[in-house]
Amino acid sequence: MKMRKYIEVAKVYFKTQFAWRADVIFNMIFTISKILFAYLLWHLVFERKESVAGFTFHGMLSYYIISSFLSQLEMSGGISSEIFHRIRNGTFSRYMVVPVNMEGYFVAMETGVVIFYLAFDLIAALSWVFLFRIEFAFVTDAAVWLGALCLILLGLFFMVQFSYYLGILTLKYQGIDTFLMIKNNLMALITGTIVPLTLFPEAVVRVMKLLPFYYVTYLPSMLLIGRCREEAVRGIVIMAAWCLMMQWMIRLTWSRYSRKYDGVGI
Amino acid sequence: MRKYYRVLLELAKLRFHNLTVFRLDFFGPFLVDGSLFLIQLLVFGAVYKNVEAIGSWESGEMIIYIGTFSLLNAVSMTICFFGLIEIPGKILNGDMDLYLTKPISPLFRLTFEKMNPGSIPLVLMSICIIVYGIRAGRISPGGKNLCAYFFWLAVMVILYYNMEVLIRSMSFYILSNARLDQLEEACLDLCMKLPGIAFYGVFKVIFYILIPYGIMATLPVQSLIGELTWRGALLGISVVSGFSFLTCFVWTRGIRHYNSASS
Repeated sequence: MKMRKYIEVAKVYFKTQFAWRADVIFNMIFTISKILFAYLLWHLVFERKESVAGFTFHGMLSYYIISSFLSQLEMSGGISSEIFHRIRNGTFSRYMVVPVNMEGYFVAMETGVVIFYLAFDLIAALSWVFLFRIEFAFVTDAAVWLGALCLILLGLFFMVQFSYYLGILTLKYQGIDTFLMIKNNLMALITGTIVPLTLFPEAVVRVMKLLPFYYVTYLPSMLLIGRCREEAVRGIVIMAAWCLMMQWMIRLTWSRYSRKYDGVGI
Repeated sequence: MRKYYRVLLELAKLRFHNLTVFRLDFFGPFLVDGSLFLIQLLVFGAVYKNVEAIGSWESGEMIIYIGTFSLLNAVSMTICFFGLIEIPGKILNGDMDLYLTKPISPLFRLTFEKMNPGSIPLVLMSICIIVYGIRAGRISPGGKNLCAYFFWLAVMVILYYNMEVLIRSMSFYILSNARLDQLEEACLDLCMKLPGIAFYGVFKVIFYILIPYGIMATLPVQSLIGELTWRGALLGISVVSGFSFLTCFVWTRGIRHYNSASS
């Protein structure tokens, strides 16, 4: 019964996406810029080298196809800006009066949107594989698939939590929009969507392994191209721990600062 | 000319007052774009840890490239970006009337009315990146190459400005500029990460001639390191001239096409 209202929220957001058909198509088309970047850059590099950090040319492009697909699915960034703007202009009350858990509402909203985009992002990824004639490297082991799937779901959930947490920080720090933009720039680097994290020095990678962002896009992509299998279980455990910690931080922040909201804007 | 100079000073003064009211936003663009280009440096630092060269460019050349693109972006952010991005909105809601009725060029006012001194540190940071690239690559450009670099930099500032105006001027003819903004963003994102030397075949035609973001930082860097050929220089001048004429044409036709939607 409790879940039903969240399923309804997800359904509403799923249906809403149909109103923005052109956005969906153009979002699909513009994913080409990530693949084109990878294709041209690594084409030039692999003219002189057989392999880079254990990647062949086609292995590298397979990595980019998967990581680009996963980063397209991760659309939680809008949650923080939505909360930020609504707190700033005093319309955040809209979420406070709805008889659902607010975080659950945003999780359901994200679920509806992700499910809608899933098929389109998959079509885009497959199109780029054929267009750029990539010899796609893809793992067939069911256990690795399961591990990657767990990581992807935990990663998507964590990112919703993270965005929600940053959003409610507006209750305390009113001007977080600049920080949100810097965060977006930084995320592309630390989730490994610009270049695979394995290219960074060993010490940097070791630090990144302690952070959750390593497990959001990079590790699932590596698992799906048949690398880093030994990190899968540890990754799931670390990611689950981060989700629990983020949940605790959200509760703490909300209980401390929710009373600061006066519903009239800043 | 004197009138325009006085208007420019007045616009700068007004803008500075406006920015000091919202002090938190003052260095926002610097922090956001600064982080973007620092991330590019980290990315290519990581790539060059694993490869010696990308095409004919080693890490020094790539750092200069990133610094040059950052400089072009910084100059635009400081002078005209925040004014120009408001063109589509002003056309859509009819606010362009206020610009057309003033006794100065509407494009002049739109270009300079939202100058952003908070982006000046970004210019300085870009210069530091370029100097660092020259040192890291042990490049010793002679006076001739340095002059050529500054010349191409000035030319590419014009091209960058042309592209910004051209894309926004399309709002005179279409209802929503969202797709063109998306296209601009995607192309800029690609070309600030990828030097023009990486383009070949049809990609070269697209990013050198049709959407010429690919030459913006590439030609200045090539001129600095002595890699720029006469053919490349001729192409650069032709593209910049072509886009200047096109921008001028689209803007002036657009102004005539404008029918004051809100009145």
